[in-house]
Amino acid sequence: MLQCIFLLSDSGEVMLEKQLTGHRVDRSICAWFWDHAISQPDSFKQQPVIASPTHYLFQVFRDGITFLACTQVEMPPLMAIEFLCRVADVLKDYLGGLNEDVIKDNFVIVYELLDEMIDNGFPLTTELNVLQEMIAPPNIVSKVLSVVTGRSSNVSDTLPGATASVVPWRTADPKYASNEVYVDLVEEMDATINRDGVLVKCEISGEVQVNSQITGLPDLTLSFANPSVLDDVRFHPCVRFRPWESNQILSFVPPDGQFKLMSYRVRKLKSTPIYVKPQLTSDGGTCRLSVLVGIRNDPGKTIDSVIVQFQLPSCILSADLTSNHGTVNILANKTCIWTIGRIPKDKAPSMSGTLVLETGLERLHVFPTFQVDFRITGVALSGLQIDKLDLQTVPYRFYKGFRALTRAGQFEVRS
Amino acid sequence: MAPPQSQRSPSPSQPSGKSEVSDLKLQLRQLAGSRAPGTDDLKRDLFKKVISNMTIGIDVSSLFGEMVMCSATSDIVLKKMCYLYVGNYAKGNPELALLTINFLQRDCKDMDPMIRGLALRSLCTLRVENLVEYLVGPLGSGLKDNNSYVRMVAVIGVLKLYHISASTCIDADFPATLKHLMLNDPDTQVVANCLSALQEIWTLESGSSEEAAREREAVHSKPVIYYLLNRIKEFSEWSQCVVLELVAKYVPSDNSEIFDIMNLLEDRLQHANGAVVLATTKVFLHLTLSMADVHQQVYERIKAPLLTQVSSGSPEQSYAILSHLHLLVMRAPYIFSSDYKHFYCQYNEPSYVKKLKLEMLTAVANESNTYEIVTELCEYAANVDIPIARESIRAVGKIALQQYDVNAIVDRLLQFLEMEKDYVTAEALVLVKDLLRKYPQWSQDCIAVVGNISSKNVQEPKAKAALIWMLGEYSQDMNDAPYVLESLVENWDEEHSAEVRLHLLTAVMKCFFKRPPETQKALGAALAAGLADFHQDVHDRALFYYRLLQYKVSVAESVVNPPKQAVSVFADTQNSEVKDRIFDEFNSLSVVYQKPSYMFTDKEHRGILEFSDELGNLSISVESGDSVVPAQRVEENDKDLLLSTTEKDEVRDPGSNGSAYNAPSYDAAISQPLADLALPSTGLTGQAPASSLAIDDLLGLGFPVGTAATPSPPPLNLNPKAVLDPGTFQQKWRQLPISLSEEYSLSPQGIVSLTAPNALLRHMQSHSIQCIASGRQSPNFKFFFFAQKADEASVYLVECIINTSSGKSQINIKADDQSSSQAFSTLFQSALSKFGLP
Repeated sequence: MLQCIFLLSDSGEVMLEKQLTGHRVDRSICAWFWDHAISQPDSFKQQPVIASPTHYLFQVFRDGITFLACTQVEMPPLMAIEFLCRVADVLKDYLGGLNEDVIKDNFVIVYELLDEMIDNGFPLTTELNVLQEMIAPPNIVSKVLSVVTGRSSNVSDTLPGATASVVPWRTADPKYASNEVYVDLVEEMDATINRDGVLVKCEISGEVQVNSQITGLPDLTLSFANPSVLDDVRFHPCVRFRPWESNQILSFVPPDGQFKLMSYRVRKLKSTPIYVKPQLTSDGGTCRLSVLVGIRNDPGKTIDSVIVQFQLPSCILSADLTSNHGTVNILANKTCIWTIGRIPKDKAPSMSGTLVLETGLERLHVFPTFQVDFRITGVALSGLQIDKLDLQTVPYRFYKGFRALTRAGQFEVRS
Repeated sequence: MAPPQSQRSPSPSQPSGKSEVSDLKLQLRQLAGSRAPGTDDLKRDLFKKVISNMTIGIDVSSLFGEMVMCSATSDIVLKKMCYLYVGNYAKGNPELALLTINFLQRDCKDMDPMIRGLALRSLCTLRVENLVEYLVGPLGSGLKDNNSYVRMVAVIGVLKLYHISASTCIDADFPATLKHLMLNDPDTQVVANCLSALQEIWTLESGSSEEAAREREAVHSKPVIYYLLNRIKEFSEWSQCVVLELVAKYVPSDNSEIFDIMNLLEDRLQHANGAVVLATTKVFLHLTLSMADVHQQVYERIKAPLLTQVSSGSPEQSYAILSHLHLLVMRAPYIFSSDYKHFYCQYNEPSYVKKLKLEMLTAVANESNTYEIVTELCEYAANVDIPIARESIRAVGKIALQQYDVNAIVDRLLQFLEMEKDYVTAEALVLVKDLLRKYPQWSQDCIAVVGNISSKNVQEPKAKAALIWMLGEYSQDMNDAPYVLESLVENWDEEHSAEVRLHLLTAVMKCFFKRPPETQKALGAALAAGLADFHQDVHDRALFYYRLLQYKVSVAESVVNPPKQAVSVFADTQNSEVKDRIFDEFNSLSVVYQKPSYMFTDKEHRGILEFSDELGNLSISVESGDSVVPAQRVEENDKDLLLSTTEKDEVRDPGSNGSAYNAPSYDAAISQPLADLALPSTGLTGQAPASSLAIDDLLGLGFPVGTAATPSPPPLNLNPKAVLDPGTFQQKWRQLPISLSEEYSLSPQGIVSLTAPNALLRHMQSHSIQCIASGRQSPNFKFFFFAQKADEASVYLVECIINTSSGKSQINIKADDQSSSQAFSTLFQSALSKFGLP
């Protein structure tokens, strides 16, 4: 049971305070929290659960804004964290982004939202669809509407049908001129390549994102050509469990608009689409660095937005790095970013140069980790393929679209 | 309770606040009666300003009357803003809150269910005790409303009413209504709210009413549980968590029931909401506790969903899940041993996540995966993040200690020693020492490498102690061991760590038994230096060795250097009972803190006490010490964080008061630092010491018989049961001049123990010095103490500010009897200096 929620700006200012129970949490807890956060080393700043002298604090940090919740009683920590994450997501969606100004400009809406999302410390509903019906988002359409109709309220008069609906995530009866469903496979590849160039770990976590705009109450079925590649899956509450269990078919009544239908994980992949080979040789106070990047397994589509990034160890005084493709930037905090972009077909991009070590240091002892970023549109590297999407119960023709995208998640190469 | 907001003065950063508020007041007044078109828009702008002021923290409670007057409107946004304002300030203005009742009650009968719900919710959030009579009617009709939204709000309203006035709630028979709703309402959100409200009410009631206790048990009964379980898919994800929490407490009658429940809930493990997954996991784990084989299967089943959650959630979510996985991994490492790759650390993960992962990697290591895990861990040793590099080396060491085949690991550790990074070398040395204690057969390989390390390059006390231990233990294999030790002894005075000096003494002794001619000189020097040492333990050990040697060398050898058995198991840091407690509290904060809840929710362990309003004013009069900080701020902080102990302690500690012994002369003696202890060092040549003295020392009492010889300070006895009420304290503090102001340093152990400030209070109490108030403003602790002379009413008042970062404490003493304040200061100082020492 949460007792209070605060929204703090990135300078520690309290932007919003929502007391949830009879026990009033004093604002000074925020000052304590901020002092605490500042006194911590960087990597501990965002520890999600903190014990203060008077309360237990949960924090979630999004786009410069700290969502802070306080409680004095035992509760499932994940419930609090998960709820704060949802609050952040909903606000971001409502306000078209999250930052200090947008929250301050719309604090009344934020209060209204929090009022509906949680009562007396118990989370009620965090479904965007339902909330949007109760409280209209502050977009241009509603502003125009209020000017035209003369009604200045951004709250609908009627209670959302969904609160009473058997399908709580869906608006009762949306109407669209053109009926469309878009299904996106978005995959992130996490890989770790160790010092000897061995692929230690490689897995993909993916999502099936659906944008559905269909009139009425549609019943969709989605099937994959090769569901056996999936190692573990998580579903949106709308997915029926039985058809998946027996036939690996996703059968669901979709929420209206954009939502995450399913997330999955594919483990133990054998190879990565690109290789990154760093080499460091130290000799007499200097260190020679060279990094080679190239295509290992051609995925059939172009590999785009390739970026190799690493942190120069603190013992390095200066670095002189050049590349034969793309640009190399060294930032003030000793982060070196090599932006390659698209990998050319004819040559392998490489970066090389020398690092000058601190005086007195013969060899390099701390080795940087290279973080690699890339994007491949049009292919899901896990090999998952959508077989077909059918619409039942509603007799319309509708347009279906499928897309796939793979990008690098935690892709790191150690040297 | 924190003081209500209305009593707080506006913060100095908003100097314009006052005039702005009166400006708003004027404008609101003008609008209140107006019915001109467009008034609503103007009102809305004004309301927005008021609420934004409220949000910033400016006190706008003075506008209460005007706000209420303006609240007669049909605009729902205006209503909502007004509700928000009223809810925030009603508690401070109970008389004015009465004005709002009227329009709220009217709104409760509105046509629009949304407005009915909102009004009811606001009505219940007023939380003003004398208005509860107006609540019962609207709540009763709200519970019967035909719209589920209103019912849902009303149910929570009942809970709010209960917290304002329990008797009104019970008299209106609301719990029974809620129970009826819970079992019959078509809307699941209403059901879920009933469930959480009833659980809270009955739990609180069960202490006084047997019926409530019975009702509370009835919720756990089979029909209720089954009813909820059968509808679980209709519940919202958050309500599912509440229901699952309840199911976890249910005890099924037989195994088939367990399997039915698990089958029903299995798909919840695939839910997108991590809280649902974890709550389901808890149900599974608790249901199968009695069936070992099924319990295993449950682990297998929940493994994949939890690992998915870790890799797909936000960093905050994955941390929470990782904490729970950590618990499971520690309980059943073998089940996760094939998933070790999930616990590999990513470069940019926060340190606390890496730390958890390292512990899990250590736990899951077995014969088949050790090599790969150790290889991975070794890569972290070259990591930029030094604490993690250290942790990973320690992890390698732990794995080595729990494995049978340590061949490859020893090589790795020895490579660490050659890495020429001081912290890597330091950690590796400690590990090699532990390893040798368990596997003496590796001594040849290790010693060859350790021998090459120059003791000058090792600075950390733990590592240095480890190196010295090895020098002593394996001195027969290391050619230059005696000479290394000798050079260390020569630099005795530069060695600041007592631990190192203790080890050095022992190592020199051991070396002496193995290679007497080479070590004799070093031993003499070490014993002389040890006897002259100001640290009690070092001194005692030197004296002990010296006398042992004097008694008989062979006996000394059998004491200092007996044949050793290899250590088979190193003691675990956390006992299994604690671990089981944490497991019982799965899916709670205990798991994240890795402590059972009683260790942090109980007042004892938490180290904080209730806020006290009347003591809040105390420090205002004595804030002179904090003149650097703006006065406003001090006031605010102290108000909130000032803790009172007096009442509590008096109630709780009759026993400890009785046993608190009063021994001021003994205190005073210790402050004469060991003057006569240095005696024997002058005569190393062999004056026979009194045997009684030796026995005293052997027993570690540390109080020489010679104490009597020291000039004792004027006797000052304190009353162990001194009583002073806060008001008198305050008054006295204001009247009396500061008679003594001193600064001295606190032992590092004392500073560490200060993490639980109550320990200090108890410690001081055992010296008849009572604490009246304490507070904290990092890095400073501030305490107010008082003490009373045993034979007269004269009191001493002490303000004590301890700076934890510098280890200094600033003491201001005020006394009725100025002449004895110096004696009291000595007493206080000696008591404080012993804090934290064993």
